[in-house]
Amino acid sequence: MRPSPRRHAWRFVLSLALPATTVAASPTDTVPVEGIADRTPRSAAIINARLVVKPGQVIERGTLVVRDGRIVDVGAKVAVPSDALVVDVGGRSVFAGFIDASSDYAQPRDPEPATPPARGAEADPPVSGARHWNRKVQPELDVAERLRPDAKAATALRDLGFTSVLSVPGKGVLRGQSALVTTAEASRANEILVRPRVAQHVAFEFGTWPSRDYPASLMGAIALVRQTVLDARWQAQRLAWQSRHRDAEAIEANLALEALGPLADGRQTAIFATRDELDIGRSLAIAREFDLSAVLVGSGREYRRVGELADARVPVIVPLDFPEAPAVEDPDRALDVSLAELEHWEWAPFNARVLASAGVPFAFTAAGLKKPQETFWKHVRKAVSSGLDEDHALAALTVQPAAILGVSDRLGTLERGRLAQFVVADADLFRSDRARIHETWIDGRRLPSRGAPADARGRWTLTWHGVDGPRDLEISGEPATQKGKAGDADVAVTVAGDTLTAYLPGRLVGRSSERVALVASLDGDTLSGRVVLDDGGEWRIEGRRADTARAVAAKAVVPPLPGSLGRYPAGEHGVVDAPASRAVVFRHATVWTQEAQGVLEDADVLVEGGRIKAIGRGLGVPSGAVEVDARGKHVTPGLIDAHSHMAVSGGVNESSHSVTSEVRVGDVLDPTDMTLYRQLAGGVTSAHLLHGSANTIGGQAQTIKLRWGGDAQALRFEGAPGTIKFALGENVKQANWGEAFTKRYPQTRMGVQEILVDSFAAAQDYRDRLAAKKGAPVRRDLRLEALAEILEARRYVHVHSYRQDEILGFVRIAQRYRFVPTFQHVLEGYKVADELAALGAGASTFSDWWAYKMEVADAIPYAGALMTRQGVVVSFNSDSDELGRRLNTEAAKAVKYGGLAETEALDLVTRNPAKQLHVESRVGSLAVGKDADLVVWSAHPLSSFAIAEQTWVDGRKRFDRADDLVERARIVRERDRLVAKILPERVKALARGDGERKSDAAAPAPKADHDLVHFAGLRPPYHDSEPVNVCEEEHR
Amino acid sequence: MTLRVLIAALAAGFAHAVTAVTPAPGAPATPVVLAGADLYTVSHGVVPKGELLIVDGRIAALGATVDAPAGAIRIDLAGKRIYPGLIAANSVIGLSEVAAVRATNDFAESGAVTPEVRAESAVNPDTELWPVARANGVLAALVMPGAGSDGVLAGRAALMRPDGWTAEQMTVAAPAGLVLVWPQARAPDWMPQAARDRAEEGARTKRAALDQAMRDARAYAAGKGKGQGVQDLRWEAMLPALERRELVLVHADSSVQIREALAFATREKLRIAIVGGRDAWRFASTLQAAGIPVILGSSHSLPARRGEAYDTVYASAGKLAAAGVTLAIANDGDSMAASNERNLPYQAASYAAYGLGADAALRAITLGPAEILGVAGRLGSLDVGKDATLFVADGDVLEVRTLVERAWIGGREVDLASRHTRLNETYQRKYRGEPKD
Repeated sequence: MRPSPRRHAWRFVLSLALPATTVAASPTDTVPVEGIADRTPRSAAIINARLVVKPGQVIERGTLVVRDGRIVDVGAKVAVPSDALVVDVGGRSVFAGFIDASSDYAQPRDPEPATPPARGAEADPPVSGARHWNRKVQPELDVAERLRPDAKAATALRDLGFTSVLSVPGKGVLRGQSALVTTAEASRANEILVRPRVAQHVAFEFGTWPSRDYPASLMGAIALVRQTVLDARWQAQRLAWQSRHRDAEAIEANLALEALGPLADGRQTAIFATRDELDIGRSLAIAREFDLSAVLVGSGREYRRVGELADARVPVIVPLDFPEAPAVEDPDRALDVSLAELEHWEWAPFNARVLASAGVPFAFTAAGLKKPQETFWKHVRKAVSSGLDEDHALAALTVQPAAILGVSDRLGTLERGRLAQFVVADADLFRSDRARIHETWIDGRRLPSRGAPADARGRWTLTWHGVDGPRDLEISGEPATQKGKAGDADVAVTVAGDTLTAYLPGRLVGRSSERVALVASLDGDTLSGRVVLDDGGEWRIEGRRADTARAVAAKAVVPPLPGSLGRYPAGEHGVVDAPASRAVVFRHATVWTQEAQGVLEDADVLVEGGRIKAIGRGLGVPSGAVEVDARGKHVTPGLIDAHSHMAVSGGVNESSHSVTSEVRVGDVLDPTDMTLYRQLAGGVTSAHLLHGSANTIGGQAQTIKLRWGGDAQALRFEGAPGTIKFALGENVKQANWGEAFTKRYPQTRMGVQEILVDSFAAAQDYRDRLAAKKGAPVRRDLRLEALAEILEARRYVHVHSYRQDEILGFVRIAQRYRFVPTFQHVLEGYKVADELAALGAGASTFSDWWAYKMEVADAIPYAGALMTRQGVVVSFNSDSDELGRRLNTEAAKAVKYGGLAETEALDLVTRNPAKQLHVESRVGSLAVGKDADLVVWSAHPLSSFAIAEQTWVDGRKRFDRADDLVERARIVRERDRLVAKILPERVKALARGDGERKSDAAAPAPKADHDLVHFAGLRPPYHDSEPVNVCEEEHR
Repeated sequence: MTLRVLIAALAAGFAHAVTAVTPAPGAPATPVVLAGADLYTVSHGVVPKGELLIVDGRIAALGATVDAPAGAIRIDLAGKRIYPGLIAANSVIGLSEVAAVRATNDFAESGAVTPEVRAESAVNPDTELWPVARANGVLAALVMPGAGSDGVLAGRAALMRPDGWTAEQMTVAAPAGLVLVWPQARAPDWMPQAARDRAEEGARTKRAALDQAMRDARAYAAGKGKGQGVQDLRWEAMLPALERRELVLVHADSSVQIREALAFATREKLRIAIVGGRDAWRFASTLQAAGIPVILGSSHSLPARRGEAYDTVYASAGKLAAAGVTLAIANDGDSMAASNERNLPYQAASYAAYGLGADAALRAITLGPAEILGVAGRLGSLDVGKDATLFVADGDVLEVRTLVERAWIGGREVDLASRHTRLNETYQRKYRGEPKD
């Protein structure tokens, strides 16, 4: 019998038996040696190895020589140094050690507070140390200073092949600086630290509503990053200035801002954590704004934004937490699973392949996997079998993370000079679930893997000594339940560790006993053992497994992608290609121009280049123009909703502070919100997305066009001037927040007025300081900057208001500071309509809401007409994802209550909101030169029976009822196909008991709606339009 | 009286222990003829330019012309339309005034099982909300107790009308149904696990409470009259429902809720109506076969699921009607809705536009709910013998621009002024330069 080649490996087994604490007696240490010094030669030669030097470069049979922790030689014909320990790996493959660029290894866990803090009423106590005022900003945190090697966790990581990991801080917004460490056996952090302060970690983390702690919203978190980076730059400038002006007032110390210096200068990488695909754009925008060297940690959905990533050329650290099979077995419950979710189940394994094809550099991470030991490699292989090139997969574990972490000269390949970190594994590691990682090497030291019970499956050829036994034994089944077959006889087998026991029928070896037990130790593809006989004798057996040289697996056929990559958003009603902007003529329509010419019967509207080219009868059109027969139909301008909270991620209220003018709704747009599509189906083409009304000065609003199918950037109404939400009354004084909320200033309408005056005074002072152009560098204060823009008429105030006293009070403030706001809600505006008209202020109100709280007790549906008659520019808004779908019949209420003419009524949802948003030169009426935003209605637009048949934005058709019906059929087909595909996997999961969640909660059920709002910020993209984005809780 | 109405009336008499109602005071002794308007009878089409005779608070005759007694007051309504009064079949009107002010809310009792509470006992006759609804033709409402966060069997509903000095005088029929709010376990999957677990646990607890209540009530019923001690208000209140004499109004929206509710009703042999019923269209043939009516919730609701077509809710009523399910259209029964019950016809109109059709939509806010609630002998259509509860409009009541001009309840013309018209008039005066008071 041929001896197993691996026997040679054990020549140096003794050195491994030494306790770990004495291992690192390197001459470069400063630690005093206690006891006998370890002088084991630190040289080794790995021979008979298939050396995967780097992706795409393989030496089929070569030698790798390491000395003093580094690779010193590598090649097919390399001399083995005389002092080297020779390790014959028997043709197995050697890969560069794998790197996980997003790990929490070796960090002590902060103890969780014994009792969770009460919901929100009280602010946290001040932070300790000369740090940032906000406890979510701790850039000075240096993971390297906190490291503590963890033998158990290190072993688990090595078992997966990870020899180095980036240990990243896990909490906060500016979270601190990560450290690259090895997974070596070590007692001191010094032994494992490869590189400290590799990157600053950024995440858009925020609390739940309501909270006094800033940030309480996604937009707040982004604003906090922005301001803090600015502050870091300012501090550096200010300190420099201060050193030249010794008698100037010194600024207070701030170690956090100091620690941000390298990031702010672009010297240190910023690694952004993303929760979902939309955070990609948000992170890239911050990186661009501050010229940061950025890396993203992905969410597994990067395939949906691959174009954006490819353009940005920013590397991504990609998780492999593929979704479990969605619960589709119960048809009634399956309704709750969206097509987007079903599709993601199918697409997730293709994520890496899509990135690779697009040239996006990426690394894999095991972060996010619940049971990485079971799933990490399974998922890597799934990615490979889904068409990811094996070299790319290898790169994602080696050269790519090395490059991202700035250690390409030290890690990632088996080239000369690199650190001696590598993995000995089966060659088909990236393809076969039977492949194993046998050992890892770190600092030139060998660390064998624990591994799972040996995998005995395969066709074994047995050699019997002492008896003629069966020559063939085939073992198959699942790794945990292996079973054997010899000839036609079933053979029960068990595998424990490396020991195989097979119970052979006695007749196969000529014995009368029912069974004889063969006990063998497995070693790779060989086994050796014996059959113990009842009479005390034994037979020796050797075996060899066939076709398991674990050669490189043949490349599988690359499967096709599950669908069209271009479709966005994913799932229902995704748009494959942006609709074309072509010349279009709408013929023979009743055209509501909302201009002086009024309603034109049997008229045509010609659209070209996204604008309205002509309106009239019998228009001549350019050749190739699309003709839309609108006979019997009505064409109106696209409707405009001056008060909406749709398409906003991560909460609409930065409810923590009373003044949060720095937060921007525009930072957190959600182009996947189905509300956009549903409102297009109600004829809406533009909307004003407002911050909520939880504080006196809320955040900056965003005017959008409903360009469904585009990304967040595409939603922005380019050229629309900035706006900002203010609020008065019950909400900002927390009147309906519960008894816990009685401390934040203001608690009265009196206080509201004063905080407004105080804020404008601060803004004026800020402007003056900026204008002075002398003295110390002025800190750029985004909060005051937004207010200063109001004073310069570059940003327009939309003020949430109800009672006439507060409305009048705000009129006086506006007069004092010389700006012209639009009042939102303004339900008692009819009582001071003359004052509104005199100021020129707009009034954006509800048609008929009233009575839901005290300050709306006097609201009347006649208000719209009454204010209009007093000369106020009035609009009707929705403030509701639902109501926004039928603004046309809301407008009709002004005909019913107060008797406005029909065109005047339609103005309330077209021309007038355009004026209030200062976009009336572009939209709001049908006039030559204006944007071609229009709706084709089946009937009179103020009729309850009018259905929007087509909705056009910029001359592009964004909604068509006929297309919608076709899309519904596609959705049904896709659902059917995916459910059929998922069911078998789901049934298996249920059989394993994975599908049922056990609940041990005994707490009483909360009021569901309250909880929804409480967790508003957690609602991800692709949601079900749960009513969480409410201006104020008591609306619904 | 048509056969259909007759049957409905008989059914009502059989099924309901309608309490004696104090007659509405002030019904005019003099007969009134409403002449010249198109009569939208709901039960038998439109009588163009017809006449309708009111005697003793009831419709005594209607048709192209009527034989009016001598001395009858004739009101010329040429060019107008007359409709039967609209019935808001799911409301807390009168039980809630200002949603955000707890002191004004009386619609949800504490506890899982409170069948003993009666809506009519807490309706505020002087609520500001009723005149606002009445001004747009809403002349009756099924006032339902709602469930608190832990509630299941919420109490008993009452059919009320906006006329009378007291809640007793306003009551048309009470009890008009036992309200059961089916537990909902569904929480969005993005909620923290603890919150989702709480929702699930809450639903489990409620289902257990419901099952226990059914067992206890049946035991109580079995022991009744056999030397039992002091009566138990809860089980006493459930007796009519257990004996199928009273309708059980089961609030259920999602498929899973409806499925469970239907199984429950079959098991317990109850006579139910589904209230809300956002997914009810998915059960249309089941509901039709079982003869279970639906009091459909607001059409002005978003589709519950991302993947549903934008008009899923709008189109649902048409699908139910096409399958032959008896249908009422209502609002959502919360306090926000109570302040705008006046928009009931527009709820119906949105269903009408997407497949239900105008006639069926009108029926679903008049005769439909009257039949479901067993009061079709008195309300819901313009038919001889029914209460003269009707209104005059200048156009299609389903159109927002239409004005409701006059209204009669039980033969008495009611004032259509409200807080809103009064405030409007007050501030018109301001802009005419008049002093405040």
